[in-house]
Amino acid sequence: MKQLKWNTVVVIVFLGTASLVMMTPFVIMVTTSLKTAAEINSPTLQIFPHKAMFSNYLKAMSTGNWGRWFFNSIFVTVVVTGVSLLLNSMAGYAFARLDFRWRTPLFFSMMVGLMIPPQITMIPSFLIMKHIPLAGGNDLFGLGGTGWIDTYPGLMVNHLAGAFGVFLSRQYYLSFPRALDEAAEIDGCSKWRTYFQVYLPLSKPLLAALGVIKLTGTWNDYVWPLIITNSEKMRTVQLALTVFKDGVIQWELLMAATTVVTLPLIIIFLFTQRYFIHGLITSGVKG
Amino acid sequence: MHHKKHRYRHSLDGYLMILPSYLIYFIFVFIPIIITIYLGFTNYDSYKTLDWVGLRNYFRLFQDPVFLISARNTVVYSICVIVPQIVIGLVMAVFLNQEMAGRGFFRVSFYIPNVTSMVAISMVWLWIYDPTVGFLNQVLKLVGITRQKWLFDLDLAMPSIIIMSIWKLIGYNMIIYLAGLQQIPRELYEAATVDGASSVTQFFKITIPLLRPTTFFLFVIACVQSFSVFEQVNVMTQGGPMNATTTIVHQIYERAFTNFQMGYASAMAVFLLVVTITLTMLNFRYGSQASESEIG
Repeated sequence: MKQLKWNTVVVIVFLGTASLVMMTPFVIMVTTSLKTAAEINSPTLQIFPHKAMFSNYLKAMSTGNWGRWFFNSIFVTVVVTGVSLLLNSMAGYAFARLDFRWRTPLFFSMMVGLMIPPQITMIPSFLIMKHIPLAGGNDLFGLGGTGWIDTYPGLMVNHLAGAFGVFLSRQYYLSFPRALDEAAEIDGCSKWRTYFQVYLPLSKPLLAALGVIKLTGTWNDYVWPLIITNSEKMRTVQLALTVFKDGVIQWELLMAATTVVTLPLIIIFLFTQRYFIHGLITSGVKG
Repeated sequence: MHHKKHRYRHSLDGYLMILPSYLIYFIFVFIPIIITIYLGFTNYDSYKTLDWVGLRNYFRLFQDPVFLISARNTVVYSICVIVPQIVIGLVMAVFLNQEMAGRGFFRVSFYIPNVTSMVAISMVWLWIYDPTVGFLNQVLKLVGITRQKWLFDLDLAMPSIIIMSIWKLIGYNMIIYLAGLQQIPRELYEAATVDGASSVTQFFKITIPLLRPTTFFLFVIACVQSFSVFEQVNVMTQGGPMNATTTIVHQIYERAFTNFQMGYASAMAVFLLVVTITLTMLNFRYGSQASESEIG
């Protein structure tokens, strides 16, 4: 018994140290955001500020159009998450339950997308957005204008569905009992009604898991907004942060802005951990 | 023999239901792959010029000193990031797999870096690595080590990015390993304990072999991800100093969106695509053989 307790103490001390190391950057981020410039430039190490300068946050948020940038990020994240949940789960349901000729080849052709890093397709995706017909001054053939570059559709449309979401939804629905479909069919439900009124209400764990993953991915995305936007007013918060650091860096303000950008997700994560981890695991176990 | 034709019962509904997501996938993933391959054979400059140049981009690729540096950097980054993130993730998961006080807290603190955006994390680490008053230099000063220039130092820039990336990626590996560990029956460990096997022996003889599918999955994911590393490089160093941290995707981005050499950049993307697919296939081949021999 004593042996066991001793082991547990060692493990807890080890994990405690490790989690301290893991958390240190976040602690530094917050403490730096509350320091004065003088404290930051002082040659001796002091982790905590003498007096917490909450005014740094106001100052950081008033340098630049943060209201607009937050609106952009929230709007894009909400729309992309909501629409992708519907489209992906609907396709997943069809691939899992409906019987149509090209089902298998279509499904496998879509799964190719799981292996392609988005960085490989960023150039053509940009070009396609630029040449969307009749958008942004383009003619019928997609020439002459800027298409969806620097617009909300440009920021969102290519993220509204994806191989990963479809795959996960299909796997989820495959585990549903066939009797469910038979019952719905006997009741005279069309396939659409079966999806909306039987399957969708039973999909909360799936939607929660997919939702938090999509939400984080969209909020945190940097590469696509970097490529597709060019005006100041279309920036997302991640992009705004990188612009913030150009020129002479005022660390206390940059850390304050970084904290504000990071905090919403950390809070969401703390409350939705369960779904988060569930989503990651289902994607991981099934490969 | 009675010839019976299979009738597909829900053709229309089926196609309609997959249509929106398939269309988006088709336009923004499938077609782009084909366009990338095509553009790789052209000198497209995103304005007017669009001539077929055959393999010229590919010849140029293997003589372009900056691209060769970026390929080398990418390989160095991948090797140095993949192994530690998997090994540390596994060790953390094994420790966290037992009931103890503070387990939830530990799990969250290891995982939070993974939830945070790469941009935000890059900002924090820029501050940690700051050459004048950064946190790391101030801590090192306490133990008498002289100031380093970290991201501005030719030899330290890449290691700095690697350490920060490992820190971010550990949590993901840990979570997946934790899930894998839950699938191992407890009786195996109990039986081993009865037989007098130490916990270290159990770790090497039971845990590692039975986690092989998880390790394989994580390895494949890690290969694909680290070969397309870009964000932290672009935010923290823009590939500098003197190309010491430039990577393949960073070169693709620079060529395509700064120099507008979209044809040449597409050839780089094709190169990366081929490398990624080859790695994945090698992984599958080697990985499946390994797990078969283990079970059989």
